[in-house]
Amino acid sequence: MALRVPVNLRKNLSVVLYAFQGLSFLAVIVGLASLLLLPLDEYSRRTYISENALLPGQVHAYFGGSEQNIVRAFRREVDLLGNSTSDVVAERMAEIFRSAGLKVGKQRYSYKAAGGEYTGENVYAVLHAPRGDATEAIVLCAPWRNIDHLLNEGGVALTLALSRYFKRWSLWSKDIIFLISSDARAGPQAWVDAYHDLHGKNIQSLSVKSGAIQGVVVVDYPGAYHRFESLHIIYDGINGQLPNLDLINTAVQISRDQMGLRTDLQEMWNHDDGYRHRLRTMLRGMVNQALGHSTGPHSSFIPYHIDAITLATHGDGGWHDEGSLGRTVESVFRSLNNLLEHFHQSFFFYLLMAPKRFVSIGTYLPAAMLLAVGLTLTAIRLWVDPRSRSGEEKKEEEKSEKVKEGGVVAVDGGPKRELFLPMSIVIGVHFCGVIPFAVFNSVDYKSMSSVFYIFIAASVILPTLISILITLTASPHRLLPAFHLSRCFSLLFLGMFLSTLATLNFSLSFLIGLFSLPLTFARTTPDSVPLALVNSILLQLTSPFAALFVVAGYWGLGVEDILKEASFGWWVWGMWTPVVVWCVWWPAWVVGRVSVDSSIVMAVMGKRGS
Amino acid sequence: MKLPTWSSLALLSLLPSACLAHSQHTSNWAVLVSTSRFWFNYRHLANVLSMYRTVKRLGIPDSQIILMLSDDVACNPRNTFPGTVYNNADRAIDLYGDNIEVDYRGYEVTVENFIRLLTDRVPPDTPRSKRLLTDDRSNIFIYMTGHGGNEFLKFQDAEEISAFDIADAFQQMFEKKRYNEMLFMIDTCQANTMYSKFYSPNILATGSSELDQSSYSHHADNDVGVAVIDRYTYFNLEYLETHVKNASSKHTLADLFSSYDPVKIASTPGIRTDLFRRDLSEVLITDFLGNVQNVEVDGDGMILDEDLLALARSAGYNITEQEWKDAMTGGYHEKTQEERDTVVGEQRTWEGPARVHKDRDGDFWRNVMSAGAVGVCFVGYWVFSMIDKV
Repeated sequence: MALRVPVNLRKNLSVVLYAFQGLSFLAVIVGLASLLLLPLDEYSRRTYISENALLPGQVHAYFGGSEQNIVRAFRREVDLLGNSTSDVVAERMAEIFRSAGLKVGKQRYSYKAAGGEYTGENVYAVLHAPRGDATEAIVLCAPWRNIDHLLNEGGVALTLALSRYFKRWSLWSKDIIFLISSDARAGPQAWVDAYHDLHGKNIQSLSVKSGAIQGVVVVDYPGAYHRFESLHIIYDGINGQLPNLDLINTAVQISRDQMGLRTDLQEMWNHDDGYRHRLRTMLRGMVNQALGHSTGPHSSFIPYHIDAITLATHGDGGWHDEGSLGRTVESVFRSLNNLLEHFHQSFFFYLLMAPKRFVSIGTYLPAAMLLAVGLTLTAIRLWVDPRSRSGEEKKEEEKSEKVKEGGVVAVDGGPKRELFLPMSIVIGVHFCGVIPFAVFNSVDYKSMSSVFYIFIAASVILPTLISILITLTASPHRLLPAFHLSRCFSLLFLGMFLSTLATLNFSLSFLIGLFSLPLTFARTTPDSVPLALVNSILLQLTSPFAALFVVAGYWGLGVEDILKEASFGWWVWGMWTPVVVWCVWWPAWVVGRVSVDSSIVMAVMGKRGS
Repeated sequence: MKLPTWSSLALLSLLPSACLAHSQHTSNWAVLVSTSRFWFNYRHLANVLSMYRTVKRLGIPDSQIILMLSDDVACNPRNTFPGTVYNNADRAIDLYGDNIEVDYRGYEVTVENFIRLLTDRVPPDTPRSKRLLTDDRSNIFIYMTGHGGNEFLKFQDAEEISAFDIADAFQQMFEKKRYNEMLFMIDTCQANTMYSKFYSPNILATGSSELDQSSYSHHADNDVGVAVIDRYTYFNLEYLETHVKNASSKHTLADLFSSYDPVKIASTPGIRTDLFRRDLSEVLITDFLGNVQNVEVDGDGMILDEDLLALARSAGYNITEQEWKDAMTGGYHEKTQEERDTVVGEQRTWEGPARVHKDRDGDFWRNVMSAGAVGVCFVGYWVFSMIDKV
């Protein structure tokens, strides 16, 4: 009984095909709509402190008064060293730490990426917990120059002052490491790699170490002006990994409720907690997550499962100064000090849409999953489609014989699918993905843009070439099924990959899924060349290169800068985004274009297929 | 003229023993348990140490106090004031100051150890300080604090004790004649559920909060950085500190319980008296929280009599040994002895705790109904098997 239905349906497959098409369309629409629903009160949640041990804001913070004068003195010190080389800076910083009675270490590092060399010298000091057991540590970090290459005067001065101030307290249960990294991007990475003995040969080992790092707070307070308006909490890590939500909540609660300091996320300076602002905050966060790049010195720590955030000051019209920031950091450190275990209670997968509003993975995951489901359903539809079958129809007798032999009704009757050609197209193109990946990670910055334009030209022509090659070599009745099936495999692979990726880096999966939507309907149409042309243009507009231009426009940078960043990310941070783009998305796009271009090629060559 | 005076004096000398016959206890013990661990549960330690301080203040010696606590707070590196535990942000009293005897410490605070302690099923090499050496004339005060829920109390994030466990342990204590009367006080979330399963006699129970109610902390010390005491314990202590000044205080448990204010405590404290025979307005707080002030005299009371004789002589009465003995063997003595016997007899004839399923008639009808149900099943089976055959 159960088998009779599909056998009957095969005689009139259009119902099934339309159903798949409808379902696929529905999945995409629901996926997109569910993302837009997230900022609503009904779908998002208020943040809350999950870890009982943290007790944020329950202590008086005493940093202030005369400590403020010390910060200002150190500011002057930093200012004088402003343009010195990193070894001079490191020596002077080490001197200051030593005079505070701390153990000091220095570390030189050198990275090579995109033809450039990134060198510097980190300096750090360890404050051993007077009554602790030295098995755990927390890190206070200030990059000498912040991510925008501004001299981090306030941050470094505050770190120096806090190192003296923290030394006077006897209540630390964990060691405190004060790290002044040479820059905001390579320095922290070199330091954290060396801390875990996973550094390359151009990076010095650390002479002084402490226990397992439980948390990192980075202070980014650039400029000579003391006052600031609000605190910008930056939390995105490498590859879109995020710190535990408890750490962000602790920082938000302390700065807002205890210190009366406004907090901002994702550069949304005037957040009114309305739908539009929440959505924009979320989308900005998603872009950062999808790119998977470093957004500050904290980013490098997160892949080591160390929860880290950057506290950056914003604006210069406010009434907060070093004192407020110092007290905030002090209070956050008292909370970190209270921790009994590694951060684990709260969420690691979330999207923040306001400082006190978030959605967790269970709520947002369906959005990306449904896009991937849309792709997979299209792939299944292509598999079921009779146009994917080639070869002559077998005779009725043979068929019935087969049924008798098997003893059951053969479900997969009818002409067979030729798998070799489509499989080799898909696998071959995916292997080709290694080429752009390798090229862009080894090319010099200077020749980056020219290589990129050559590559664009190459990948515009490549699909057409492949389709011409196949059309010329393959027999006519196999052509159409081959293009159908190659699209089917490619979409199947993309759908599977994206649904897996969604659990690791939701935003990247969602954005690739969004850009890949034309792949679900851009098909081989040998009967209609104009439609094929439209599809081809549409695919061109949603290609990985187009996305690259969009990102470049979003950051206001040149394409070569984005590619340089990607190369730097791969060599320094171990950023996987280029792998995903070149080895998964680009091949899927190429196969999509092959099947669209083939309709034009077939029309021109007069091969209409079977 | 003189003899009536002697008689009244003799009566006076018997008064303490008459009181004894009434309140029935000759020793006081306290079991104080903090089931929490970790720095952020500072307040539970402070709760229990406050109670420890109170019972010691009211005269229970350390040898009769079993103190169970994780003891990881005073010397915690996070403690701003090393070696101290305070129960108030004014930091007036260091509860950990000196003379603290912790009997079960750290990982020794387990459900098993607690129940073994209560029921005295301890290994033979257990030191006296870790045993509850009570008898049927001992009043026990049990105070527990920690994180609880509906009918359970967590022990150090590792295990939990249920209300049934404690109730059964108490019944064993009763059967083993390990207490005379017991006061059970508990300060946790949903605390009142913990004593809901008790069924042994002579237990008075009180808790901080009802089912589905949380117990809250009273206030935090912003230098220590944690909450330092829970509300229920705080207001208990406030009453005890301001009213029960010393061991001879005449304040009763009725006074203490009527001082509870659900608004201040922020939860509804509960009292369970159905297992307890005495009227609360006659039960002194010091019957449980203080040490027994009365002394039971062994033998015929001759030593006391001689002391009284000496006292009488020094007061100027001229009295011979023979006159004194006559007065001592007067009718008053015999009469009180009888009275005491009747009281003891009353206790012996007491029928035991009120159980739930004691209704014999109900049992009979229930049996009939269950037999009927079995019969119906049997008939049904027979009918269906017939149908099947047809």
